[in-house]
Order: sequence, then structure tokens, then C-alpha cells
Amino acid sequence: MNNVIEVKKLSKSFKVKVKEKGFIGSLKSIVKPKYKTIKAVNNISFNVEKGEIIAFIGPNGAGKSTTIKMLTGILYNDAGSISVMGIDPTKKRKKLAYEIGTVFGQKEQLWTHLTPYDNFKFFGAIYDIPEYVVEKKIKEFIEIFELSEFINTPVRNLSLGQRIRCEIVASLIHEPKILFLDEPTIGLDPVVKENIRTLIKRMNKEYKTTIFLTSHDVGDIEKLCKRVIIINKGEVVLDDSMENLKYHYLNKKIIEVKMKEKVNLDDSKGITILKDKGYNLKLEVDTKKTSISEALKKLDSDKIIDINISNVPLESIITNIYKGEK
Amino acid sequence: MRKYLNIFKATLINELQYVSDIVLGFLSFLIKIFIFLQLWNYLYDDPSSLIAGLSKDQMIWYVIITEMIWYGTRNKTLVSQITDDIKSGGIAYTLNKPYSYIIYIITKHFGEISIKFILYLILAIVTGFIFIGPIDFNIISLPFIIIVFLLSFIINAVIRIIISMLSFYIEDSTPFHWLYDKVIIVLGIIFPIEVFPKVLQPILKFTPIYVVTYGPAKLVIDFSINSFITILIVQIIYLIVIILLLALIYRKGVRKLNVNGG
Amino acid sequence: MLMEVKKELKFILLSIKYNLAREMTNKVTFLTNIIFMILNNAAFLIEWIIFFSIKDNIGGYGLKDVVLLWGLASGTYAICFLFFGAVQELPNLIMNGKIDSFLVQPKNVLISILTSKTKVSAIGDLIYSYILLFIYGFSIKNFLFFTLFIVTGGIIVTSIATIFGSLAFYITKADTLTGNVMGTMLNFDTYPEGIFKGAIRILFYTIIPISFAVYMPLNILKEFEIIKFIAVIIFTLFITLIAFLSFYKGLKKYSSGNLMSARV
Repeated sequence: MNNVIEVKKLSKSFKVKVKEKGFIGSLKSIVKPKYKTIKAVNNISFNVEKGEIIAFIGPNGAGKSTTIKMLTGILYNDAGSISVMGIDPTKKRKKLAYEIGTVFGQKEQLWTHLTPYDNFKFFGAIYDIPEYVVEKKIKEFIEIFELSEFINTPVRNLSLGQRIRCEIVASLIHEPKILFLDEPTIGLDPVVKENIRTLIKRMNKEYKTTIFLTSHDVGDIEKLCKRVIIINKGEVVLDDSMENLKYHYLNKKIIEVKMKEKVNLDDSKGITILKDKGYNLKLEVDTKKTSISEALKKLDSDKIIDINISNVPLESIITNIYKGEK
Repeated sequence: MRKYLNIFKATLINELQYVSDIVLGFLSFLIKIFIFLQLWNYLYDDPSSLIAGLSKDQMIWYVIITEMIWYGTRNKTLVSQITDDIKSGGIAYTLNKPYSYIIYIITKHFGEISIKFILYLILAIVTGFIFIGPIDFNIISLPFIIIVFLLSFIINAVIRIIISMLSFYIEDSTPFHWLYDKVIIVLGIIFPIEVFPKVLQPILKFTPIYVVTYGPAKLVIDFSINSFITILIVQIIYLIVIILLLALIYRKGVRKLNVNGG
Repeated sequence: MLMEVKKELKFILLSIKYNLAREMTNKVTFLTNIIFMILNNAAFLIEWIIFFSIKDNIGGYGLKDVVLLWGLASGTYAICFLFFGAVQELPNLIMNGKIDSFLVQPKNVLISILTSKTKVSAIGDLIYSYILLFIYGFSIKNFLFFTLFIVTGGIIVTSIATIFGSLAFYITKADTLTGNVMGTMLNFDTYPEGIFKGAIRILFYTIIPISFAVYMPLNILKEFEIIKFIAVIIFTLFITLIAFLSFYKGLKKYSSGNLMSARV
């Protein structure tokens, strides 16, 4: 398989102005500003294969945006090497631009007074695509991504969901090989989120576009990505397939029970009490150490009113990884 | 009253961080003064002659003072903030707050301009002394002058607010600000009313420039208790009229907003 | 190379077309903006009528010359804000990390940024400048020279603003500085050259090159001199080059630098 992105030992640090509080503090920072250095990205390496949908996630300030900006040529790295489609973004930014597409959050790239149709044509002009090719392309998009309803409505009259859809589609006009999506579903309602996810999937399927996605939304990751890279404090803490990630953490189960009578239960081997409200219990069972049935034996089955056994949600798995727990 | 004092204090402190911006803005002031200095040097062939009854020194001091008023009291709050609040509909949210939007804006405006004005005052005095030297100035006239200056600032602020409030009725009120700018600059800053043709002079005394720039500046370069009283009376009349006007526009505008807001 | 230039030009025109289309969505605002800008400019004629009532020759200029001076000055700014309307915001765009979206486009970054905005009032300035040319005296020759010089002047003003604006890559107050420099140029170039004496004149040929933008063109329109003509053209090319160099030098620092402003 061929890699479309290769990142080796990438690093970048920033200097940040430190501001002290209060009136004296602000006066001081005028006279003599203080700086501290933070390592935004620290020695990270990873590859992305052609046609992959990869999730690049991490808490705020983990270095996600900085990494994307380096991959797209906006920022230069301090150390290490990047190759995107075989191009070094720091050296051939313009050449790279034809190969990649970017949607940064919901920063508007579209002109709001124009219709999506005119917008797409404008984007076509940016990438020097002949008019008839653009027109053909737009027709194709209308069909694949179901835009016919609002293709001739000025963007400012579109709903947020429709606008984001157009934002994303606009970045496809030059058929980029890789699409960078930074928080594409932030602030959208569940239905629209689902819509956008379908769009991303279809894009990946129809055009074999490699998708590099950052998101805080576990749903995005769970439903779209086959592979996850988790980054925290500028370092890669996990680079694994979705399956492995789940498998690795699925040995933990959550048991929630509602009892008729109060039970007294203490932590024991493989069983952790998460919540104990007397009648209501929440346990975490590590199936590597003990079995579910073993755990259930500790409860008087006649007195159970309700029981629910579930996997640990991906969200808390990821939160735990952020915290450094394995 | 205390809440407004707090707003004033808060904006004042906030403004301290922009001191360096204000100082950078001095350049523009100095250039203006420099240009007028050159121009009047050119126009006064004989330094001791009089134009429209004023000496060269008085003429240049007049420009320094009016420019000081112009630069020292310019503020975006009165222009863009009000316009934005109206356009975004944000002004509607202030209606049920326990303070008056207009007094809030004026307080904020004065909080923002006080440091700036003081800095420009110092700059103006230094500039005047360096370029032309002192003029006849009686310290006893100072309290009178301060009153006229303060009234001038308030009148100017209210007029600006009225113009911005036009946004209730038209989409963009900025062109009207330009027009007011030009009235002030061309008629009220560059030269005193005396320089204009005799026929125009009485008309000019009815324009805002008489109470906003000409009046205060004239008192500084040529003080007399009579002119103080005249200017004060006109200022008070002005103030009453524009406050009534503002109240009218604001009330009608807010009602319009509510209707539109549904 | 020629192909590149052609594509770039096509892109600029498309940008401006769309920009104008945006501004025209509200016709009333669009028209009031233009008309008020003309009125706004015309107000200054009053100033000059008063000055000339005191003395009929100011710095070697008569009222007619001042009319032409104002025509050139407003035309110059009209071209700047019509085609490169975002130049005033350049420092802010840089400081707020808003140039990123231009960096991922395969077009010249500086040109894309500058042309991303158009000021409607510039149309008012442009109309006004030609009205003044008519008042001064219309002829085909005057028209062609005038048009050429407001273009070179517009490019010079844009270039200077870009050079100062690019300082935003290094210092924080570049926005105020750029505003000041642009204001300074506008201030000076609406007054007769002749009233300024001594060292200040050096500035007119260097940091605030209004001699090349306005004064020389005015002299050429009054009386053609080949030397001055060549000087204006060469200076325009030169300052454009410097503008590009300073922007790209700053951009390199932005990308490779490690100063984080509001970039997180």
C-alpha cells in the first residue's frame, strides 16, 4: 500500500506571551513582555495510506491544528520531515494546494451572497479549471451529494447544515487526493451531523479521497474512521485501528443494577465499584481478571429489579487515554 | 449612579492597555499641525499682519486646539458599537436590563476617551509651545473654559449617538457620520468662523461646530466673559434640543425593532 | 509565465466582480455610500475656496491646480480600495491568523488577500476624481494620462501599505502604523507641494512617496516631461517589487516562526 502522508519525527514549538493579571501586570507586559516556550508538536511520526479515513484526535491544545497546518504548508516545522503526496509542504506549497482540499471548522470560505453554484465556479477559477469542466463537475456533485434543492439559493439563506455541506463539496472541486477536515460537525444537530457523515463517506467511496479528520465528536470517529491517531500534549499517544482500540478496551464492561434491597459490596479482584447508592449500583468488570458470571454471583439474583450490561463508551475510553491511563 | 461609575472605571482601566496605540496616533495629529503651520506660514506674508482679525499665532493655536478636540474625543463606540447593537438586534436585550442603554454608551464613551483626551491635551500644549510659543492666557478663565469643553464633548457624543440611531431606519448610517465629520473638519477645525465670508458667518453660528469646536477653541485663544456666556447659552439650548431629539428617535426606533422582532 | 499572469488577472477580476455583487445586494446602501462619498470629498473644495480667498496663489498652485491635485489623490485611493480593498486590513488578517485560508490556495497569496475585499465608497472616489478632471479640463490626452497615473498611484499606495502592513509579521502595532502611514499620505497629497519646504521633501520621495504618486503626475499633466514620466513608471515597478519581497519575507517568518499570537 502506498502512503499519501508520511510524517517523521515532526516537531514545532511556540513562544507565548505571558500576561500577568491586574493593572500593574498589564503595564509590565507593555514594557517587558515575558515569553514561555511550549512544544505544540513534539517528535511525532505517522503515515496515512491512500483512501483511508483517519481520525486525528486529542484534547484542546494537543497540537492537532498545528499538525494540520504543517501538513498543509501553512506553518513550517522546526524539525523532522513531512511528505504529502510526495511533496514537501514547506517547499512547494502552491503545488501541494492542487492536491489537497481543506475545510477548517466552519470558517466560511463561501461567499454568502452567492449561490452554491456560483461559489463552486469561483473555486473552479481559483484552481484554474476550465469552465466546462467545472460545470460538468457541479452537475455530478448535485447528483452525488443531493444538492439540487438549494444549488441556486444564496448561501446566506441556507441552513447551517446545508451550508457546511456546500463548504465541504466546494473543497472537492479540484478533486483533491487528500481532504483535511477540521471539526466538520461542530455545533450541528444530530440529524445534520449524520448527513455530513454520509457525505464524507460517500466522498471517500466515490472519489477515493483520503480523509484526514479532526473532531471532538466520538460519533464522527466511531462511524467514519477505521483508524485513530490520538495526540496529547504534542505527542502521539495512540495510533491504532478502530477495531484494536475497541478490542483492547472492550474487555471492560459496565454493569448497572437496581436492587430491591440494599447490598454491601466492596471492590474485589477485577471489579470496581463506580457508583454505590445503596439500591443502585454501577460496577466496572475487567473480564481479563474475572468473568461476568463471577461478578453476577455477588449479587442476589432474586432481588434484581433491573440490570444493564454494556461496553465502556468510546468517549470514556478516549478520555482515559488522554489522561494517560491504559 | 454607582453602576455607571463602575462602567466608567472599568472602561478607563481597560483603555490603559491601548496607551501605546494612542501614542502612535500622535503622528497623524502632528502631521496635520505641521501642514497647517506650513500653510499659514505661507498665507501670512508678514508675521505681524492679521487675517480676519487674528494673528498667525492665534490662528495656529486655534487649529491645534480644534484638532486636539477632534483627535482626543474620536471614538468607535459611538459609531460602530451602536450601529452593530441595532443591526444585530442586541439592543433589544438591553431593554430589560436595569440600566439605560444610552447612559451606558455615554459612560463607556467617556471612560474610553478620558485618557486619550488627557494625552492629546498634553501633546497639544507641548506642540503649541514648541511651534509657536505661548499665547495670552489668563488662568482665571480656566474654570469657564473647562465647563464649555465638557459641554462640547457631551453635545458631540449625543449628536453621534443620534446619527448612529439612524440605523433603526436605514441599513447603514456611516455615510451620515462622514457628513458630520466633514462639517466639523471643514467648517469647525481648519479655520475659525471669522475667516469665512461675512454672509456665511451668522449661518455657521447655528451649526454644531459653534458649540463643539469653534466655541471652546475661541475661548482659549481669545477669552472674554461675554463670549463665554453666549457660547454657554447656545450650548445649553443645543443640549436640550438634541436630548429631546435623541429620546424621540430612540423610543420610536426601539418600538420599530420590537415590531420587526415579532 | 505569461499564462500564469493571465490566470492571475482573470482571478482578480472575478474576485472584484463577486465583491461588487456582494455590495450591491442592497442597492440603497450601495448608492448612498457612493453619493455620500462624493459629497464628502466635495466638502474640501469649500476649504480651498476659503484659502484662495485669502491669497490667490498657494505654493505655486491656483485653484484649478488644487482641483487636479484632488482629482489625482482621490483617483489614486479609489484604485487602491477598489482593487486592493483588503490592504488596510492586512495587518489584522496577519495578526489574527486569517491568512491561513489564502495559504492553502494555489494562487499568489498577497494578491488573493489584497483583492479579497472591495470598498464601495471607492466607486464614489473614482467618479469624483473624473468629475474633477472634467472641471480641470478634459482632453483625450489628459484622460489617458490621468487614468494611467491613478493606476500607478493606486499601486504605489497599495505597495506602501503592504510594506508597512507586513510589519505585522514582526510587531503587534502594525495595524495602527499602517493606518497612520496611509492617513499621512492622504494628508500630505491633498495640499500643494510648494508649501512644504526643507527636509520634509525627502520623505515625499521615500517613506511616503507621494511625489511619485501625485505631485509628479500633476506636473506631467500640466506640462509633459519625459524624465518625470519615466521616473513615475520605474518607481511604481520598484515599489511593487519591494512590497512583494517584504510580504513574502514576513510570510516565511510567519510559517517558520514560533510566535503564537491568536493561532491556537
